[in-house]
This record gives sequence, C-alpha cells and structure tokens, in this order.
Amino acid sequence: MVTSIILSGTAMGCIYALIAVTYNVMFSASRVFSFTAGTLGMIGGVLGSLFIARMGLPVFVGFPLALAGGALLGIVTEIVAVRPVLKSLDQHLYVLSTLALALMIQQFTAIEWSTEPQPFPRLFDIARVDFDQQYWLPMLACAGVIVGLELLYRHTLIGHAFLAIAEDNYAARALGLPERRLRMTSFALAGVIGALAGFAGGEMLLAFFANAPMLTFYGFVPVALGGMGNNRGAVVAGLLLGLFQQTANFLVGGIFASVAVFTVFIIVLLARPEGLVGSALQRRV
Amino acid sequence: MSLTRRQVLSSGAAAIASTIAKPAIAAKEPILVGYLPALTGPSSSTGVGINRGIQLAVQEINAAGGIDGRQIELITRDTQSDPTKAVNGAAELTRGQKVSVVFGPVNSGESLAVVPLLARTNTPQVHPCWVDTLTDPKKYPMCFRNAPTNQQIGGAANRYVVEVLKHKKVAVISDTTGYGTASVNAYVPMLKAKGADVVYQGNVDAANPDLKPELLRMQSAGAEAIMPWSVNAGFLSRIINTRGQMNWDVPIVGQTTLGSGQTKALLEKPDYWAKVYPNNFRPVCYSPDGKLTDRTSAFLDRLKSAKIEMGDTLLWWIALGYDSPRMIAEAMKNVGSDAEQVVGYLNNLKEFPGVYGDMSFTPDRHDGYPDEEVVMVEANSLNNGAFKLAPGYSA
Repeated sequence: MVTSIILSGTAMGCIYALIAVTYNVMFSASRVFSFTAGTLGMIGGVLGSLFIARMGLPVFVGFPLALAGGALLGIVTEIVAVRPVLKSLDQHLYVLSTLALALMIQQFTAIEWSTEPQPFPRLFDIARVDFDQQYWLPMLACAGVIVGLELLYRHTLIGHAFLAIAEDNYAARALGLPERRLRMTSFALAGVIGALAGFAGGEMLLAFFANAPMLTFYGFVPVALGGMGNNRGAVVAGLLLGLFQQTANFLVGGIFASVAVFTVFIIVLLARPEGLVGSALQRRV
Repeated sequence: MSLTRRQVLSSGAAAIASTIAKPAIAAKEPILVGYLPALTGPSSSTGVGINRGIQLAVQEINAAGGIDGRQIELITRDTQSDPTKAVNGAAELTRGQKVSVVFGPVNSGESLAVVPLLARTNTPQVHPCWVDTLTDPKKYPMCFRNAPTNQQIGGAANRYVVEVLKHKKVAVISDTTGYGTASVNAYVPMLKAKGADVVYQGNVDAANPDLKPELLRMQSAGAEAIMPWSVNAGFLSRIINTRGQMNWDVPIVGQTTLGSGQTKALLEKPDYWAKVYPNNFRPVCYSPDGKLTDRTSAFLDRLKSAKIEMGDTLLWWIALGYDSPRMIAEAMKNVGSDAEQVVGYLNNLKEFPGVYGDMSFTPDRHDGYPDEEVVMVEANSLNNGAFKLAPGYSA
C-alpha cells in the first residue's frame, strides 16, 4: 500500500508541479495568472492521443507535435487573453479573459474531440511492472523541466533576458530588451511545459476534455503554497500535494480526500500567506 | 350591383358545403407528434440510437397508411443534451406547433425540467427516462414511462449479485454526480433488505486517476462483488483496469455503461472485460445458446434491410425508439388523437407487444416496463448491439 501511495502520489505531484511551473512561467513574463495552464495540460494529453493513437504517428513524431500544439496555444493565450489587458493589470481583467479562453478551448475540445475520456497510447511497448511508465514518465518530465529551466535561466542569454523582464519589466525595456517578443516566447515555453505535463501524465489521466478544470484547480495549489513565481517552491509543493492527496485517498477515501486536501491548503495559507517557500513581499514606500 | 335570389342561394349553398367538407379535410391532416431527442451534445449517444428506431417506425406506420389515413408528422426539436433547450423545445411544441403528444426527452436531466411543464399544458407525454420521480399519476397524470425505473435497474443488479451469484459481501461505489450518489443511496438499503452485507460504500470523484486505494479498501473489507453506479466511462474503466492489475477475481455488476464501447476502448487489456456484468433487457439479449427471440430476430432483419447502422450503438436503444411511436399510434388508432382519450387508453394498456419489452400501464402506475425483463449481461459478448445474458439466467 505504501508503494502505491508513493508511486501514484509522486507521479500526480509531478503533473501538478509541471502545471504550477506553467503558471509561473507565464506569470514571470507578464505578471498575469493565466488560467489556461490546466487547459494546456489537457491539450497535451488530447493531442498526444490524437497524433499517436488516432492518426497512428510514431511517438517520436507525435510527441514534438503535441508540444508544438501547446506552444501555439501558449502564444494564442498571450495574444488573445493577456496582451489586451496588460495595461490595466490592477483591475485583474486577466482573470476573466484567461478563464474565458480556457473555457472556449475546453468546450471546443469537448465538441470536436469527445465528451468521453479517450484512451492514451502506451508510449513504450514494455511489460507492466509496479514502477510502470505511467508513473515514471511524469517524474522524468518534471525532472527534465526543472533541469532545463535551471540551465536556461542560468546559462543562456535568453534565460537572463527572461529573468530581467520578470524582475523589472520597465527597466528591462529601458535597456532595450524586446519585451513583447520575450513575453510571447515565455508563453510558448509555458505551453510546451503544460502540454508536456498532460502528455507525460496521459496514461494516468487519459485524453479527456474535463482534465482541464481539474488541472487548473490542482495546479494552482502548488503555486499558492510554493510562492507565486517560485518554481522550486512549486515543485516541492506539487510533490507534497500529490503525496498528501494519495495518502488521504487511502486513509479517508472518496470525496473526503478532496476535503482533506483543501482543509490543509487553507490552513497553510492562513498560517503562511506568502506560501511555504515564498518570502513576504516587501513594498517600497 | 344588386344580388339576385339565385346568387344568394348559390353562395349560401357553397358556404354550407365548405363547412360540411371541413371535417373530411381535417381527417386527412397529419397527426403532429412532438419529439425531443438529444441528438447532439454530451449525452447524445442514447438519443442517436433511439432516433434510428423512431424514424424507422414512423416510416413504416406512414407507409402502411398512417392512423386512419392520417400520416404521422414527427416534429423534432434537438435538446442538445441541455435541459434549458429541452424546455424551450417543449414549450414550442405544445404552444406553437400544438402537437397531440410528445415523446421525450430521452435523458433524465432534461426530463426533470420538461415533465412538469408538459403536465401544465395537458399534453400526453411518453418518455424513457429512469429517474424514479419522473412519473407520478397524481402530479403528472398524462405522463407515461416506457422504460424501467432506477429502482428496477438497481433491483435487477442486486438480485443478480445476491440471488444468482450468491454473494453476500458487496462493495457499492459511484462517482460524485447526482446520479451516482442517488443510486448508491437508493441501492444500498435495497441490498441490505436482501440480506447482503455492504462492506464498502463510497462516492469518488470521477476525475481521480488512481482508484487503487478504493479497491484495496474493498478487498480488505472482504468484498465478493463490486457494484459501480456511474455513466462515466473513464471512471468505470479505471475500476475494471485496477481490478485486473490487482489480479482480483471478483465480478463487477452494475450500470449499462460498463458494457459500452467507450468503456471497452479504455481497457488496458481486453481480458479485463471478463466477469463484468452490466444491466440490459432480456428481449434484446442473446440467450445462453446465442439466440434472440423471434420478435427481436425479425426486428434485426428489418434493421438490416433498412440499412440501419448498429455497430456504433445498442440494440435496446433502437428497439425502444421503434416501440415508442408504435405504442402511441396504437392508442390513436383505437381512440383518436384527443389528449384525454389517448391517456385513457394508455391507462389501461396491457402488454403492448414491443421489441424492447411488453408495456403495461394502469391508472395508478405509469411505469410500463416489466421487472423480470431487466437483466444482467456479459459485457464482452457485444454483437450487433446486443449482449448475451450473464451466467445464471435461464433461456
């Protein structure tokens, strides 16, 4: 039983962490919490199933195509739902615009894809074992994204540019950084990470349009717990969330597991509003 | 211009003649039957299947001369699986089109909204929805159900587990939808009344990707059968897959969706579908020796000759659709299309011979489907939209 909690809890935690990182990457570039993060995850699973299971493309073709679909959707998010409301961030109109876009994509998927969950293909034709690919694929994806982002942010020029606009948008623009193009690239990157979450978790979550609100919801918890914009905090909180959720499933089961998760979430936020890993925001006066 | 006596007389005669001719013309007017299927939207698979049977039946009735020379005109309003659109459609059918009778909606969620509305307009209604409260001869005296109730569905599954499979320790699980929780709440007391011990009872979020905790809990409680109540193919397939992964050899007995193509598509191995027994209906099932009844075989032949697709739907949906306009036509052939007369006829209908089942109503009971025809079947025996009876049923 403990093995099962650890395996499925860690795998789900990795998917939540990846969605949380998707939120953060979009937030860093624009100061906007885009509620399309879960939708990007859902689209990764649906496109993976479409390309590989339905169209019969090999995995090495279907996988990059699914990620490209996520990147495209990330760019569309930036153009349609984020850019028009950037001038009035204090009015929080992005909540409406990103939620509306997320709902439109979700409903379009339901109509064009299916309202029923569809099978996601087994990516590697190997025998099922306890530590199955449905568990290690999300873990591998999460580890890959963490390492990749660290390398990108610390060792590449474009990574430094991302950090610069995340740190101080106006100063970065004053230095001549192409803020709009960097923001669009960030949203494309977020789209890739979100789609990767849904693709890697496809064998667990299936290709189902209703995964979008579930991922949007549970993916936001690690963002709040880990501190907004803090990727390390998001990964730690995501893993904790997955493990706690599975433990609650085992111990109390059914709908009470969700109640337990959100009770702990509320208690943590009451005790540490800045999140478990984040630091209290200091405002210049 | 002055009128002569002859002109006055001839115009008067023409007026009288036209008045006399009116009933004869009216008799040739079509009988308008309102029809509220969900042909699109998330719950449309049932409606699409039922629609194939309805269209065939109406074609056959009209080709045979209609009802006393009057053709049936089906006025269809697609509810799009949406209760609001179903209500709009019902209002238009009764107030705008002034139909004689309404068939549908075909999903319970839509019927919950439409049944009270039609009751207020005094329009006879026939629907096939399972939620128990959707018929009530006192509140809705013109509403009839030509399908089983949820009580009959749960009762058949419970009978199969306790009396046929002889299992006493039962796990009952559902998703957290209204249908799921209501089913568990209704069926658990019924199981206990039959002497079963419900060792596990739970409502689980259908989006939960890992149901192993729930099945481990059932296993450790000593469950000998799992009874899932959900229409969510993803949820049901996870239960079946997890049972397979655990090599746990208990039967799964419950909702018809357990036998659907969507559930099958989500199974990790085809073998996992063994010992899965969903609800179905005896007249449209293969007997243990693999045969259909003569009536159903003849119906299947008619479907094949009419080139009606069966591979992507279920035979009982088509049969139910086929029987519905025939039952309404039978009433109108005998008593005409007046609402009160149609209701009076249906109130005393005895064993109307349907492909789906023989339908009977009384003034106090508007649920027409016979208890004994609700059975369980082998999920992995699907052929031409029909299943084989589960082990333990006699031919």
